[in-house]
Amino acid sequence: MAVNLEVNLGGLIMKNPVTCASGTFASGHEYADFVDVARLGAVTTKGVSLNGWTGNPTPRIAETPSGMLNSIGLQNPGVQTLMERDVPWLKEQNATVIVNVSGHSLTEYVQVVEALETCDGVDAYEINISCPNVDSGGLTFGTDPEAVNAVVSECRKRTKRPLIVKLTPNVTDITVIAKTAEAAGADALSLINTLLGMAIDPYKRTTILARKVGGLSGPAVKPVALRLVWETHNAVSIPLLGMGGITNGLDAVEFMLAGATAVAVGTANFMNPHATIDVIEGITSYCEEQGVQDVNELIGALK
Amino acid sequence: MERLGDSKMTCVLERKAQIKTNKHLTDHLYVMELIVEDIPSLVLPGQFVHVQIPGMEGHILRRPFSVYHTKQSENKLTILYQIVGFGTQKMTTLGAGDTVDVMGPIGHGWTIPATCQSALLVGGGVGAAPLYMHAQELYKADVSVDVVLGAQTEAALVCKDRYEALLGQSVPCSTDDGTYGYHGFCTDLVSKSLDKRSYDYVACCGPEPMIKAVCAITLDRGIPTFVSLEKRMACGIGACLSCVVETTNGLKRSCVDGPVFNASEVIW
Repeated sequence: MAVNLEVNLGGLIMKNPVTCASGTFASGHEYADFVDVARLGAVTTKGVSLNGWTGNPTPRIAETPSGMLNSIGLQNPGVQTLMERDVPWLKEQNATVIVNVSGHSLTEYVQVVEALETCDGVDAYEINISCPNVDSGGLTFGTDPEAVNAVVSECRKRTKRPLIVKLTPNVTDITVIAKTAEAAGADALSLINTLLGMAIDPYKRTTILARKVGGLSGPAVKPVALRLVWETHNAVSIPLLGMGGITNGLDAVEFMLAGATAVAVGTANFMNPHATIDVIEGITSYCEEQGVQDVNELIGALK
Repeated sequence: MERLGDSKMTCVLERKAQIKTNKHLTDHLYVMELIVEDIPSLVLPGQFVHVQIPGMEGHILRRPFSVYHTKQSENKLTILYQIVGFGTQKMTTLGAGDTVDVMGPIGHGWTIPATCQSALLVGGGVGAAPLYMHAQELYKADVSVDVVLGAQTEAALVCKDRYEALLGQSVPCSTDDGTYGYHGFCTDLVSKSLDKRSYDYVACCGPEPMIKAVCAITLDRGIPTFVSLEKRMACGIGACLSCVVETTNGLKRSCVDGPVFNASEVIW
């Protein structure tokens, strides 16, 4: 029995429900020894800003129980490099491409999307609203409904491509932000971004990360992510791209049961460089074993 | 910024490796022999392997280890490691027959400068190991090689015999506690060596403060110097941007752009 794995994430047709989480896979080239990127439902590229950012000082990571903290600071070479170097490479490999868009101001998000509109190889956008907004003293866009509305509606005006909005879990009620993004024109939502955390070296009496706090990811966050996907699924009608600690096919199936149409594999890529492929194969085996003919049957199928 | 392709020297493989021996040498130092297909014959001097240690599921990241030496006929790859945290502590409990997952070979290792005639290799502590295959290669290339080693104690000079056997001469050593050789830091021995004869190339690996001190001496004398830098890393293949090093040519990734860097481009 051949299982249908194709899903439609807000207008983005994915050959299977699996992509990589932005920032864990660069633009795919680094994983080419382990993964044929054309096999993925999509490749989500590392967050890109207008002219590039140098990122944060090191140490940028800390291993924590069943997870890790990172404060890379969205180091990236800017949208021009992505368009000239990374997107053409991905297209040569026949990959489906989601570009993760970052900005420190409303204007920057808009300018990045406008630049990418001139690039044929981009199949969808994922707007990372977890960036600090320099215009409002560094407050994260994604925690403020007004800022979310502004970013999403301005990006919406500039593109007909599928627009995915990536939500931060560091809010009191994620459904408020989710509904705001939906009303502002998002085609899909992705969640969760990392949870803010901290690691301390008791002997040095310092934080391990140079920036003191960072984003927690990995298996440790999976229960939190599942709960947030489920809550969001019950609150909006647009499809969800679920992520947070997925390392195998069964993890992915759990996210789909909670309401995700597609899933992203993030930190697991660091543990196992072919984790994305393992997740695709794991979903397929689950469907075969369970007599599921179409993976879409799993979406929100929690009893 | 790097261009595509720059970061790839060879294909990175992932293989299951079987531990042949895991021997306690002294205090915090262990040497582990791994039997693994393909990787030993591909490793270039100064490259590393990224190892997933079994039985510590709560600790999800791999650990990078420079390759000490290889024996291709036996598919053998040897790493010298020091207990620095949970992962390396856990490694000490593994034994013959245990399996670890190994990615490698990774990174830009040492390269012999085209005109190199006399090289000085400086290894501090566990940093003596990543230089050994480079010494072998220089020796084979008929480059005159001198080695200076430093460690905390005589017992911690665990690579000395191997270097002396390779070079057929005794290797000047320093110990912090004076139990062997020069009582003090190996940087003093570096200055002495440079006073005695001229070198046109220096390669250095060890704790970062020691590398910095050595470079201050060698770069001041205008000697091309290369260093192996170890940074906290996650993916080990250039994707996560955890292990960046500040250089005069922008941020570089110690995993794939390094771990060996031209010291003159590193911003300390």
